[in-house]
Amino acid sequence: MHFAAIDWFIVVVYLISSVAVGLLGKKYIGKVSDYLVAGRELGTYAGIATLAATEIGTITFMYNGELGYKYGFAAFAAALISGLVMIVVGRTGLVIERFRALRLMTVPEYFERKYSRGLRLLAGILVATGGILNMGVFLKIEGEFLTIVSGIDSRYLVAVMTAILLLELVYTVVGGMMAVVITDFIQYVLLSVATILVSIYAVYHAGWDNIVAKISSTMGSSGFDPIQNPKFGITFLIWQVLLWFSIHTCWQTTAMRVFSTKSPEISKRVMTWTGFIYLGRGMLPMLWGAAALTLFGVGAIDNGVPLPVVNGQTLAPIDAMPAMLASMLGPGVKGVVVAGMLAATMSVNSSYLLGWSAVISQDIILPIREQMGKPALSSRSQILVNRLANLFVGLFLMFWGLYYTPPGAVYLYLNITGTIYLAGTFICVIGGLYWKRANTLGGYLAMLMGAAGAIIPFFFLHWSENITGFCAFGLAAFGLVLGSLMGKRAPTSLAGAT
Amino acid sequence: MNYWLIFWTASLVIAAVSFAVITGIVMVKGYKDLRSMFNRLAEQRTHDHE
Repeated sequence: MHFAAIDWFIVVVYLISSVAVGLLGKKYIGKVSDYLVAGRELGTYAGIATLAATEIGTITFMYNGELGYKYGFAAFAAALISGLVMIVVGRTGLVIERFRALRLMTVPEYFERKYSRGLRLLAGILVATGGILNMGVFLKIEGEFLTIVSGIDSRYLVAVMTAILLLELVYTVVGGMMAVVITDFIQYVLLSVATILVSIYAVYHAGWDNIVAKISSTMGSSGFDPIQNPKFGITFLIWQVLLWFSIHTCWQTTAMRVFSTKSPEISKRVMTWTGFIYLGRGMLPMLWGAAALTLFGVGAIDNGVPLPVVNGQTLAPIDAMPAMLASMLGPGVKGVVVAGMLAATMSVNSSYLLGWSAVISQDIILPIREQMGKPALSSRSQILVNRLANLFVGLFLMFWGLYYTPPGAVYLYLNITGTIYLAGTFICVIGGLYWKRANTLGGYLAMLMGAAGAIIPFFFLHWSENITGFCAFGLAAFGLVLGSLMGKRAPTSLAGAT
Repeated sequence: MNYWLIFWTASLVIAAVSFAVITGIVMVKGYKDLRSMFNRLAEQRTHDHE
């Protein structure tokens, strides 16, 4: 069933109002800290909305739906870990409390405070590369979702992607974090309503008992037991714990919300409550994927699960969930759900555009200028550099998104591209904050060995994601310890203020 | 398998209820939060201009 006039109306109204409201953010931009971290004035509830909206996108629904389709309830383990680790980070204040007290604007900025400008530059390059590669697959997959659900001809996929990106760019470039925070609030409300609606529809249409029976007959006990499931197992679960600790503390877009809060105490509260949202962020779309398997999983067996067949056409597992939405949602409801998914898409993309462009401008361009002996830029000029970096990232994403198709499950591709910089960054941050011996040589070795440990095993040796992840984090830790014990003691002491 | 099913069912219920309840609270209090944030920023800007 394709889009009705009422659905188009809802979507168009949402798009116009979202961009218009986003543009209002411009009037609050004075300093570069207003543009990047909302003047550090974010309260608890607006903080929860912007953090949740930033990390819940159509891409999140798609890859979690794919996991639910392919691995059944066993996939819930990944969602459970992501939520519980976030609650632990919030309750303990691990890294985030000190980060906020240091009044940072980007994660690599910490590297100059603790280690050296050179290491900040290296961290900036790795953070921007890993982050942009990570984001590179978003547009294509989001475009796929929208074309399937709305019934737009797939030939217009590129045009749909371009339109989405341009709309996000308009308000992100102009209003920075102020615009992102305002739009995130509206988008969070809309995407949450859509999430709840789809969950009710999915269980109603597929039937809970049928979902359980389908997973049981297709996957046996490995559809329920993550330890027994060959794709997961103990190594995967331990890697996920490590990975999520690093994401919740050092992922640039998440960290920017921590930096934007009014105080370290509020940053902890935001993180704790968003942890509960993270449980649903993973499990609910996984449930949709399992429901899509129940309704459409009747095709040829591929990697142990039947491929989805919709109207006689065989699809990829990742497309089963949007196909299910297209077939089960009626006029009006479909418009609300697609507007919700568009909201999710735009909140993630605008935040990611701002996050990675902030790193390019603050941690690559500005340190290089200073190294060349050029005078420091004014706040106004820094905002201009940020805006240009934003445009550059947007254009790059357009072309990369068209060219590249990730191998295997999208969730795992995202994990690995994130690990390129997260392994070294997390180890350097933990070492820098909690180990007095950590020094610049150790920092360099950790960053380089962590990146090599992610890139070489995954892209060249084709090792599994779990082993690649352990390799990256293990090598980064080894590099930090080795370099720190070999090199001079670091004299730096970091004092922070709120 | 039964234990896992019970565990995942309970986890799913907790996740869904938390998601819905927190969304409701954030919808109401988040709006107030944003308003006071922009009021403070506007005051700061006025103060800076003076």
